[in-house]
Formats: sequence, C-alpha cells, structure tokens
Amino acid sequence: MIFSPRRTTGALALGAGLLLLLPLAGLDLFLLDVLASGFLLAAYVGSWDIVGGVAGQICLGHALFFGTATYSCALLTSLAGWPFAAAAAAALLLSTTAAAVVGTFSGRLKGPFIALLTLALGELAHEVALGQTFFSPRGAYSWGGEGGIPVALPWGSPSPWASYYGALLFLFLSTWGMTRIARSKDGLIWTAISGSELTARASGVDVARHKRRAFLVAGLLAGAAGVGFAAHVGRATAADFSLELSFQAATFAAIGGRGTIVGPVLAALLLHALFQGAGIAPAARVLLYALALLLVLRFFPAGVAGTLRERVRERNMVPEGASR
Amino acid sequence: MNDLLLAERIEKSFGPTRVLRGITLSVGREEVVGLFGPNGAGKTMLANVLSGLIPPDRGRILFEGKDITRLSMDARFRAGLARTFQIPGAYPTLTVVESIRVALLCGEEGKRRSPRELEEEVESVLHRTGLFAQRFWMAAKLSQGCLRRLEFARAISCRPKLILLDEVFSALSAKDEGELTALLRSLRRDDGISFLLISHNPLILAEMCDRVVTIEDGRVTWEGKPADLAKYLPVAAGHDHGP
Repeated sequence: MIFSPRRTTGALALGAGLLLLLPLAGLDLFLLDVLASGFLLAAYVGSWDIVGGVAGQICLGHALFFGTATYSCALLTSLAGWPFAAAAAAALLLSTTAAAVVGTFSGRLKGPFIALLTLALGELAHEVALGQTFFSPRGAYSWGGEGGIPVALPWGSPSPWASYYGALLFLFLSTWGMTRIARSKDGLIWTAISGSELTARASGVDVARHKRRAFLVAGLLAGAAGVGFAAHVGRATAADFSLELSFQAATFAAIGGRGTIVGPVLAALLLHALFQGAGIAPAARVLLYALALLLVLRFFPAGVAGTLRERVRERNMVPEGASR
Repeated sequence: MNDLLLAERIEKSFGPTRVLRGITLSVGREEVVGLFGPNGAGKTMLANVLSGLIPPDRGRILFEGKDITRLSMDARFRAGLARTFQIPGAYPTLTVVESIRVALLCGEEGKRRSPRELEEEVESVLHRTGLFAQRFWMAAKLSQGCLRRLEFARAISCRPKLILLDEVFSALSAKDEGELTALLRSLRRDDGISFLLISHNPLILAEMCDRVVTIEDGRVTWEGKPADLAKYLPVAAGHDHGP
C-alpha cells in the first residue's frame, strides 16, 4: 500500500536524508534561503490540510494564525523586550487562541459560511496589520505595515545553514506529527465530519467540539510555522496575514491532495522551490500556481496524492461475495 | 412507567405551516411500533424531532424516563437512541470498516473498549449486517442495499435501546428487503432493541410491528394492532399510501 504508515515514514525519511545532504552539494546561499522558507511554508500548508483537508472545513483565512505568531514574536521581542523563547511561547498561545475563537464560531456553520467567516477574519487582521504602525522604543522611526517589525533574535542574524537545518527538522517533525494526527481517532472522526456532518451527528459525533479541536491543532501548527518564519526572516510584515498566503495554502493542498498531509506538504515545497528558486516574480508565480492547479486537477481530480490514494483504495476493494 | 420512549404533545411549525400538531406517541421496551401515514403527514419530521435533529416548539420527549427534549442528536445516539435516514448518508471517502469505527468510537461503549476489543466489535457488526465482504469498500461505491446495511451497522454500533427507521425498506430489491427484515428481527430477538418503523408499506408494517400508529396532517389519527390496519386504510382513501 502506497499510504501505509511504514512506507510513508520511509519515504519521508528518504526525502529528509536527501535534503540533509543537499547543502553539502554546494548550494548557494540564495537557494538555501529559498529552501528554508519552503520548509516553513510546507509545514504551514500541512497545518491547513489538517483543518481544510482532513476535517473538510475550508479555511480561507489561515494566514491569520501564521501572522498572529510572526507579529507576536516581533512585537513582544522588539517592543516589549521579551526574550525570543518567551515570545515564541506566547506567540503559539496567541495563534492557538485565535484558532479557538475561529473554531468556536465555525462550530455551528457549514461549508461556504466557514470559508466566508475565515476569509473575513483573515482579511480583517491583514488590514489592521497593514494600517497599524508602532514607534520603535527609541521613537526614532515607525514600524509596521508593509515594512514590518523586526524580530529581536538572541543570535542576531541567523546563519543560512542553521536556518536551513532548523527549518528542515521542523518540517520533518511537524509532517510526521500531522500524519499521525490524520491517522488517529480524531483524524478519522474529522474525516467523517468532512464527508457528512449529518451522518456524523447521527453516529454520536459532537461535530462542533471536533471542528473546534481541528482548528486548534491547525492553528497551533500554523503558529509554530510562523514562529519559525519569524526566526528565519527576522521580521514580521503585514504580508504574513495576507489573503495570498491563505489562498496559497488552499491551492497547494488542492494540488497535492486534500486530506493526505504529505501531498500538500510536498506540493508546497516543490512548487515554492521551483518557482521562487528560478527567481520568478511574485505576480507571475501566482499565475503559475493557478496553472499548475488546473493541470493537476485535469489529470488528478482529487490532487496528486489524493487521486493515488483513491486508486489504491479501489484496488483494495474485495469483489462482492469474496473473502480476504 | 414502562415506556422506553414517550413523546408528549409534540408541536412543530415552520412559519404559518403547522407540521406537527400535538402528537403523543410511545414505544415500549422490545416493542416494534409502526408509523404510517400519507406523504406530508409529518412522519419524517416526527423522526427528526425524536432523534434530536430538529427541536420541537412545544411538548417533551422522555427516554427511559429522562427528559431528552433539549438533548442534541449525537448525545441521544450516545444515550442509546439511534436513527437511520430515508436517504442513506455515508462518508464517501471512508471505507465501510472506518465508517463503523467512527460510530463505535463515539458511543459510550467505545470509550471503555481497548483497541483490540474495538476491532472485534467492528468485525462482529460487519458479520451481523452482512457487510464483511465489502468492509474495504469506499462508502461512495456501495449499492443501495449495502448503504442501508451500513446505516443499520452505524445505528447498532452504540448498542442502542431504540432505533428510528425512516423508510428503511424503500428503493430496495426483494432480496435486500428480505435480508434487512431478517436482520431487524434478529436485532429485536437477540439484542432486545425496540424500533419505531416509519413506512409507506402497510404489508411490511403488518408483518413486522406489534402496534401501528397512523398520522395525518400532523395529528395521530389511529392506533391499533397491525392486523387492523387494513380497516383503517379505506378511511384514508384518497391519500397517497403507495409504496
């Protein structure tokens, strides 16, 4: 079986091994930086897949949780003078709280209404971040908006190698954790909710509680990716809350295969590394992502990994009357 | 009080349309009660209210003597009041095994079972409902008969005391209908499960039920033995009682 836990873990370990050795092949600093950002973006997309793929709650404001974490790190370290570790812990708490609030509101809503609610909340946060400026502690200049706020890091400017390996470790651990969650009892119940809320309710599932829990887990993981991004880039900007970042998660998940975790993670990593590594301008990248989505959906209607999983499952179906 | 389920003076309106007009209905322990009536009489609405899908405007529902009027559908399932739907609902991306596992995990019994006991229970439900050969099938690929069986499998997973069956025999082949009838009988005999059987088909109600209640225009119009249902039917001439 392609998606057996052992095979998936093995494939992930092999991929991680290759990525571990890649910097030794003489990769330049720009590509190291692109890949490190790609690892964090891929983990963020995986977190979207927990709530949007496994639990089927289309979240179009997922950047809210990511941006909450990057902004918290920046504000708490640069303005409040907190040590980075404490700011990171607070950032995780705040992004999880934001997810709890969104999850609570989403509990009673369905389908497009959840998409609209999350879109509105994400865009509200983006507009606030865009318009809100802060004076630096010395009062010399203002921070915020598109220019962003610096993150005061204890190690000053991070080494590209440390960023690369730190982000890779985070991606590997978070992907492993997310696949475990997707295969857990909660993951099964979330998949059921995604399939039919009514049947889930008639099967004893407390749908609102489970939706909230899916948002909590996704928000925590997106927040963790945000903390990693803040530590890697050393700056939080309004773009961390942007609609583009939210839509990227949904697009990569659709390409990779919603609900498979590994598919969206790999799609995000490969497409980001390919297009950003080739130095393609952001506006052109959006068009290329859309083109990739159209092409993939033409041949893989449930995304690449999603369609492959369906084919494996169909192959495992025993003919009626036969026994295994 | 020996009633397992007692619904008293249930009323439900949507704007000016009164769908249920003070219905009182009871189901005893190990009893099979038939609910019969023409299209639009309020049968499915009553099932929705009894199962907790839709709250009533007035009236109260007692289950094992406890007031469950404001309890949600999932809480009622966990309490032992399960239901099936007129149009079987399935999780399209889950297999039969996984679909049953969801119901088992969410029932009160499921929380107390070890993973091994849970899998044994899944296997037992698969055998009882005749779905063992299709256990790795995606629910989206199942035939109508298998979907009905899956509904049964889901409903019996919480070891219910009462199952509301909404038009469970509609759109089935004669073979599937016969097998489901046998399953229903065995569940009643072996597990002591009570049923509220909603059906258009007077022959099935006469065959399966201990008592039949007929409703029309949101009111109970007749209650009696299944053998006497034929006497009631001419009274209701002019309404659509077709299968």
